[in-house]
Amino acid sequence: MEILDKLVNVALIAATLRTTAPILLVALGGSFTTKAGIFNIGLEGQMLAGAFFAVLGSIWTGSAFAGVACGVAAALVFALVFAVLVVSFRANEVVVGLALNILAGGMTISLMKAIFGTRGSIVGQGIVGLPKVQLPGARAVLGSWAPLISGFTPIVYVAFIAVPLLVLFYNRTRLGLYIRVVGEKPEAAEALGISITRVRYIASLLCGLLAGLAGAHLSLGYITMFTENMSSGRGFMAVAILIFSNGDPLKVLAGCLLFGFADASSLRLQTFGYPSYLVLTVPYVVALTALFALSYRARPKIIAETLASMQRLLSTDRNTGPDGKHPL
Amino acid sequence: MIRDRLREVSGQVIAVAVALILGAIIILLVGESPVRVLMTLLRGAFGDQEKIAGTLLQTTPILICGIAACIGLRGGMFNVGIEGQLFLGGFAAAWVGFAMPLPPGIHMLAALALAVVAGAAWVAIPAYFRARYNTNEVVSTILSNYVAVLLTSYFTIFLFKRPGGWSETPPILPTAYLPELFSFSRLNWGLVIGLVLALGAALIFRYTSWGYGVTMVGSAPKFAEYGGVNVKRQGFVVLLLSGAVGGLAGGIETLGVHHRFMEGFAPGFGFDGLIAALLANGSPVATIFTALFFGALRSGSLLLEVDTSASREIITVIQALIILSVSAQVLVRRRGDSQAGERRWKF
Repeated sequence: MEILDKLVNVALIAATLRTTAPILLVALGGSFTTKAGIFNIGLEGQMLAGAFFAVLGSIWTGSAFAGVACGVAAALVFALVFAVLVVSFRANEVVVGLALNILAGGMTISLMKAIFGTRGSIVGQGIVGLPKVQLPGARAVLGSWAPLISGFTPIVYVAFIAVPLLVLFYNRTRLGLYIRVVGEKPEAAEALGISITRVRYIASLLCGLLAGLAGAHLSLGYITMFTENMSSGRGFMAVAILIFSNGDPLKVLAGCLLFGFADASSLRLQTFGYPSYLVLTVPYVVALTALFALSYRARPKIIAETLASMQRLLSTDRNTGPDGKHPL
Repeated sequence: MIRDRLREVSGQVIAVAVALILGAIIILLVGESPVRVLMTLLRGAFGDQEKIAGTLLQTTPILICGIAACIGLRGGMFNVGIEGQLFLGGFAAAWVGFAMPLPPGIHMLAALALAVVAGAAWVAIPAYFRARYNTNEVVSTILSNYVAVLLTSYFTIFLFKRPGGWSETPPILPTAYLPELFSFSRLNWGLVIGLVLALGAALIFRYTSWGYGVTMVGSAPKFAEYGGVNVKRQGFVVLLLSGAVGGLAGGIETLGVHHRFMEGFAPGFGFDGLIAALLANGSPVATIFTALFFGALRSGSLLLEVDTSASREIITVIQALIILSVSAQVLVRRRGDSQAGERRWKF
């Protein structure tokens, strides 16, 4: 109980919100592509490119916000390449996504060596981090609970405000509806005269926008540095969340809070002397467990499918030859 | 038939050429001369007999991981977790190697056997959920990679650290070494095992009904199910086999090259193998050549870091560009197809 007291307090909840923000942003970005019927495994690479170019932009211009803009631009380029190959060229989305992730990893390391002459990480060098927003009056109203709503970087607020905005977007706007129709019933979209290609391009680019913000938060938010592969699988965790949330913003939020909590408490567990290597596996194990558990929960549908396929099998049995063997 | 094959190969070659041109542009952007990079890569990969042996040494794990990927791809499964299976296989083989004294020969076989089991066991849960509940295997195997790498690091550093050593296990006993092929290189029998596996896999896919069933499930699952293939069970078996081969790759790397397990002992071989298999379009025999190509790139890149200002990761960029341009040429080749057709890779 004492450990629990030390673990769960205001600081931990604030840390959870902080660590949730990047994965929430990238998952919300992925919700656009998920809703539009694209399986986007390339989130990881877009986020990584965003993180790297945000640092680069911040050093070049001396402004954190210009840095964020650079990061978003880089992620948008990756999203555009993804859209060109997957939507226009009809290439396999898994192959293209994985290749873009590998490209982002190799490119950021190569550029880091070319520009800074270092391997591993960029620290200092005049990187300007994002400012922390102190909400006026938060301390007066909430007292010691103030860190729950005040003192985050602007991107954290953007991430959480984006959730209700996306709910409205999908339910109340024409574009949101188009994206859902294209994902759920492409034939219907075609019949209605909606351009599937255009909608999927827009969804991919919106996804790149949020993934770039997520990346910028990683490198300019609470730690102002870039390290090799610093997105460390958050993009893949986001894809796991998208699979079991089906891209619904509220379910995405719930999933991301779970991971943010796993991430934040794993950092805390390290300070209690648990072996860091095991503690670091916690977020990934949570992601895998959630993925497996929720697909297990979806089994009634699968049982129905199994019944259907058994019926099919029984009916084909009657059609096979006299020796009772299957035709193959 | 031969014309089709020729067109397919020429398509891949054109795609590689496009990627190399893009790669040259990127090399220019990072401030290095593409010609110099190419010459350095060639010298690093094929400069003398030791360099050639070095290239083959890098080719071995890529080839075996590539075969693991081929098995999955043929059956319609993306095993992106080969990296993790490689790490666990490598650790398992090292553990048998240093903790279990056994007679020569048997010791090596036992270590390789445990590597195979470890690789298959690591993919078993994602495979079960993929087969039973259709849980996306791409995501589950990618995430399990991170766990595998951290877990083997934990074993190495907290449980079996060599006293006085630096994040590595004790060395394995010489009875478990994979014999080397030449005196001047660490190149070992692993390469031969890889080649035999590639030919074996090709023969199985070509001449056995099981292999035919796997290919059918991969290319036309409805047809295969109708024809009496148990699609679910077969998907499970395919992923398990793929994981087993991935584990074997790790075991061979441990027993043949490093003679111990250490943190980050084989970075990226699993992904290189997957890329090699994709470029080979899922054919194990073609994977021999694509793995050699990537092995040469990797081996040449070691000299790149010494002789030029470019980093060795530039070859990762080139590999990714190759896969992107190969994936794009599907459209060029199938322009006649209906636009309504489903998106897919070319198997």
